[in-house]
Amino acid sequence: MDFFQIVSLLALGAGYTVLVTLACIATGLVSGIAVALLGRLQIGPLAWVLAVYTYVFRGIPVLVLLFIVFFGLPWFGLNFPPLVSMMLSLGLITGAYLAEVFRGALAAVDEYEIMAAEAMGMNRRQVLLSIEMPQMLRFAAPGMLNEFTTVLKYSPFAYTVGIPEIMKQAMALAAITLRGLEIYLAIGLLYFAIYKLMLALLRAVERRFSVPGFNLL
Amino acid sequence: MILQVRQLTKEFDGKAVLRGVDLDLAEGQVKVIMGPSGCGKSTLLRCINRLIEPTAGKVLFRGEDVLRAEADVRALRQQIGFVFQQFALYRHLSALDNVTLGLRKLRGMHAREANEKAMHELQRMNMAEHAHKYPAHLSGGQKQRVAIARALAMDPAVLFFDEPTSALDPLMSREVISVINQLYMDNITMLCVTHDMFLAKYIADQVLFLDAGVVRAEGSAEELFSGHSDPRIREFFIHEHHS
Repeated sequence: MDFFQIVSLLALGAGYTVLVTLACIATGLVSGIAVALLGRLQIGPLAWVLAVYTYVFRGIPVLVLLFIVFFGLPWFGLNFPPLVSMMLSLGLITGAYLAEVFRGALAAVDEYEIMAAEAMGMNRRQVLLSIEMPQMLRFAAPGMLNEFTTVLKYSPFAYTVGIPEIMKQAMALAAITLRGLEIYLAIGLLYFAIYKLMLALLRAVERRFSVPGFNLL
Repeated sequence: MILQVRQLTKEFDGKAVLRGVDLDLAEGQVKVIMGPSGCGKSTLLRCINRLIEPTAGKVLFRGEDVLRAEADVRALRQQIGFVFQQFALYRHLSALDNVTLGLRKLRGMHAREANEKAMHELQRMNMAEHAHKYPAHLSGGQKQRVAIARALAMDPAVLFFDEPTSALDPLMSREVISVINQLYMDNITMLCVTHDMFLAKYIADQVLFLDAGVVRAEGSAEELFSGHSDPRIREFFIHEHHS
């Protein structure tokens, strides 16, 4: 196996790692924002359901939930492809953590700004979407970055359900070449490079949406 | 009559904050509500536009009972511009966007039309040159002037001020008083809660003295500020004058 083959295998793996990470971040963001905003509305039974979701999903290890979804649910006729299984496990767990980050960020929104919007005649949904959510996302930026990095670091679990991401490629390469140390050191650096890339991307987003008075990343 | 308040009562956990307040506000009139801290001044304003639900009483806005269960609270609020002591500018929006938000979301205006209207109101408040600044980069007086422009942009029937100068130093306070005085000249109907005797003297057609949830006196600023027959009122204004 020559150098070019190794690099192309790792590049393919990196592609899958980025795909899994982005898919799980997207799932986490959508579920986290939805849970935080719906939770803010304090609708009796729904608030209870959301609280149970954040409580339970923060308590289950990613790998356990992934195996329940991928290997357990087919018993009930529910077959999910590997990437969707990752989204339903790592993605939803991330959503539960992000919901808590967002809950804290929502608490930081000035109550007088909310009152001013209500006094202006806005309904609850308008206040939530025009005042609270934009500020929530800015206040939550550092916590969100933390969660996104955690997603990247949990993405190797994807290899257990057959997604050929970096870790899976590395294990195969180590088995073939018997040079585990170099291979694993190389993928450590690869993960770090992806992390730096992600950070650069988020900083670009930050520059686009930054507002004086909010300290973002 | 724009506003008629009758026997308005508000209790918080059994404790009466407003105890049967009556108030009339005519078109073009400016009434100033004064009184000791905790006497229910801010609660009164917030009960009228139902930011706080009153316990009992009647509020007629242009003859319509707005405390009815089926009353359109949001339509009522859109007719009452509200300016807070704490400015309450939306921190994530520029001064201009603070003013256009209501026009776009509530009046359904297109961005260009809303911007034109907002710039007009900011100009009126001498804030046009700061239109693209964010609240974090504005002084207290400037923030309050944007807040007033934001309220005016909705073309309200009446403007409520809840201690508009209390969070400002004397210099900024004068700056805000001068624009409120301009509104007075423009015949805008206003109901203003304040501790500022200077502001009250400038704009009040009538001053209402609220004490422990009841209207204790009503009259011109002159009548109330200079040697009122009620010792409680006399003492209050002597103290306010020196503070």
